[in-house]
Amino acid sequence: MSPLDAKAPPVLKGQDGDGSVQVHQDMSVKIDGAKVFAVYGKGGIGKSTTSSNLSVAFSKLGKRVLQIGCDPKHDSTFTLTGRLVPTVIDTLKDVDFHAEELRPEDFVYEGFNGVQCVEAGGPPAGTGCGGYVVGQTVKLLKQHHMLEDTDVVIFDVLGDVVCGGFAAPLQHADRALVVTANDFDSIYAMNRIIAAVQAKAKNYNVRLAGCVANRSKDTDEVDRYCDTVGFKRLAHLPDLDAIRRSRLKKKTLFAMDPDEDIIAVQKEYIRLAETLWAGTDPQAPSALEDRHIFELLGFD
Amino acid sequence: MKLTVWTYEGPPHVGAMRVATGMKDLHFVLHAPQGDTYADLLFTMIERRGHRPPVTYTTFQARDLGSDTADLFKATCQDAYDRFKPQALIVAASCTAELIQDDPGGLAQSMGLPVPVIPLELPSYQRKEAFGTSETFLQLVRHLAGPVERTPEVTCNILGPTGLGFRHRDDVAEIEKLLLGMGIGINVIGPMGSSPADIARLGAAHFNVMLYPESAEPACRHLERAFGQPYTKCVPLGVGATRDFIKEVAELADMSQPSLESPDLRLPWWSRSVDSTYLTGKRVFVFGDATHAMAAARVARDEMGFEVVGMGCYNREFARPMRALAKDYGLEALITDDYLEVERAIEALQPEMILGTQMERHIGKRLGIPCAVISAPVHVQDFPARYSPQMGWEGANVLFDTWIHPLVMGLEEHLLHMFREDFEFHDAAGPSHHGGHTPASEIKVDVPEMTVTEDGLSWAVDAEKELRKIPFFVRGKARRNTEKFASEKGLSTISIDTLYEAKAHYAR
Repeated sequence: MSPLDAKAPPVLKGQDGDGSVQVHQDMSVKIDGAKVFAVYGKGGIGKSTTSSNLSVAFSKLGKRVLQIGCDPKHDSTFTLTGRLVPTVIDTLKDVDFHAEELRPEDFVYEGFNGVQCVEAGGPPAGTGCGGYVVGQTVKLLKQHHMLEDTDVVIFDVLGDVVCGGFAAPLQHADRALVVTANDFDSIYAMNRIIAAVQAKAKNYNVRLAGCVANRSKDTDEVDRYCDTVGFKRLAHLPDLDAIRRSRLKKKTLFAMDPDEDIIAVQKEYIRLAETLWAGTDPQAPSALEDRHIFELLGFD
Repeated sequence: MKLTVWTYEGPPHVGAMRVATGMKDLHFVLHAPQGDTYADLLFTMIERRGHRPPVTYTTFQARDLGSDTADLFKATCQDAYDRFKPQALIVAASCTAELIQDDPGGLAQSMGLPVPVIPLELPSYQRKEAFGTSETFLQLVRHLAGPVERTPEVTCNILGPTGLGFRHRDDVAEIEKLLLGMGIGINVIGPMGSSPADIARLGAAHFNVMLYPESAEPACRHLERAFGQPYTKCVPLGVGATRDFIKEVAELADMSQPSLESPDLRLPWWSRSVDSTYLTGKRVFVFGDATHAMAAARVARDEMGFEVVGMGCYNREFARPMRALAKDYGLEALITDDYLEVERAIEALQPEMILGTQMERHIGKRLGIPCAVISAPVHVQDFPARYSPQMGWEGANVLFDTWIHPLVMGLEEHLLHMFREDFEFHDAAGPSHHGGHTPASEIKVDVPEMTVTEDGLSWAVDAEKELRKIPFFVRGKARRNTEKFASEKGLSTISIDTLYEAKAHYAR
């Protein structure tokens, strides 16, 4: 046996899903200092809206915030900057992937209330890997020391659980936050996300923080699910027309003319930010098997 | 990665050494095997420094790899501290030591030394020397510079000079003189000449002068964010750039109407007063670090009347401004760190002069093209004993002198005529300054065959023979001009008459 054999990394086959081989991240891309949150949820549930408003809420608490949009759709920071900013991948393409030619202002844009905005972008549909894109983005931010001058990093992740773009932010995050609504499809998706994050938590530091009931009048179904699996609801955002309008106006809720409803929602985001900043106990829910979740919530 | 014989830049730890060597009371502990100590020679032999760089190497050997190299590193750190008692310590791993993953930063910080210990992350296999320089200076500034009160009078820091820098010693003196002349005080000059205690009070200045963006841009950006200090973007290389620099400084210092002239400035008159056929329209190729190459292109075109036929840089960090400038000149910038690619470009363009680095001087020698050095990397002869800045007013004068010298003197129309049959100007004679002339009798003029160009133009044998009488350093130009003239006239054969008609045509 050569000396190298003894040092070979353990093959943790299957521990984060059938047939996968765990590859540990390079220590040089570890994010030190900042608190890192990853926001997950079913497609179209309002992850970007939640992330952007949460970013502003953190900035209102006096924190230096960096939001990283990890969806190829690259509209995560849209309401913060008021425009679709160029993505990291587009910018890298312009310089033929010679990252050393870039300066921070080429890929980091300042949004509402000083929130720093980055859109990772994505590979063309059907090709490439979203995880690679997120990895390159973090590497670039790290090289330019952008993460050292930041208190909070928010990854706004795409909805697709099987994509590498889903898994990559988990390597960097401290806490994962799930956005859901009070309906079967969203809760079903949350259940899948919980299973996926729990699998990653075996090898990474990431832990589940809890869920946000978004765009819902009631929270009874969400709460019933949470009680069953041992999960926690951290916030509740009602189905307000103002939230929809804020997106159309390319603004976060904090930039809208304040009325009673809007002020209430702003307070809820601030409360969520305070809760997350103070630190949440790691949750260890056990995801339900499909059969059980159908039984629990019914089919309607 | 590519294997290469020569490189423009060393690994990033050499950049860190350049910062440390320029400074006082700072010590650098480098986790490195025995062979890496060669870097000392750059400073003692090339730059002729009177002392060794303040670097202690762990110099691990093959047998150490069997035991504990981490302990070796800690012991080396302690010894270095005890012996040199520096105000601060920087630690890093060289390219070879990076592979054994000892984490020198973590080890040194856990030792509890009574001075600041600054760990450097130098990714040896991705980045190079200039990155090492700028990253080291940035980390020193980040760790040491704290909030301090601004000086009551307007002062600035001069940032960027390092050890082994091309004319940094004299540039700093020249720019310091210029700024003091404008009534602006100097707070700190660094990294070269400063101590960690000086770095700590950088914040007292009202603004920063970014003298060398290659080593100071990240630090300047950090200081702008941290202390609200703006910084100059124009580098005062050449007359126009020096004037722009003065205007920029005046704006930052809130001064009106600064003087844009100096009685010491001679470049403009000198370049106007030389024979116009000697300078004007000379085709030059410019290559170096981006800052020096971009400035040299401006001086060459706007202040010397040369024609810039190619330009580029080896440092990718500044490739974008380089490309943008090249576009202004109607050129495509050559961005490469492969000297063979640069050689091919020069060979294809056949310029009459190269403004480049030590590498281009070698290329010029091989190709028989004169070369003046404008940028690092440089040779021992580019660290002169005399005062010889590149920046400011005196720098402009120096540029004129150094760029003119490599061009063969006396290259004026009437002299070409008088001496065109002269044995000394013959191909086989060799350069006169090498002494060993071939006796006139031994020179055999080989009678050329009739040559045909790519465009189907053919040179008559006697015309070709006549062309050979023109000295080699202008022959290429004469050939090109004549061919252009002939094709414009729709001629298919170039005779002696065509050659002289073309000459008359272009003389008009």
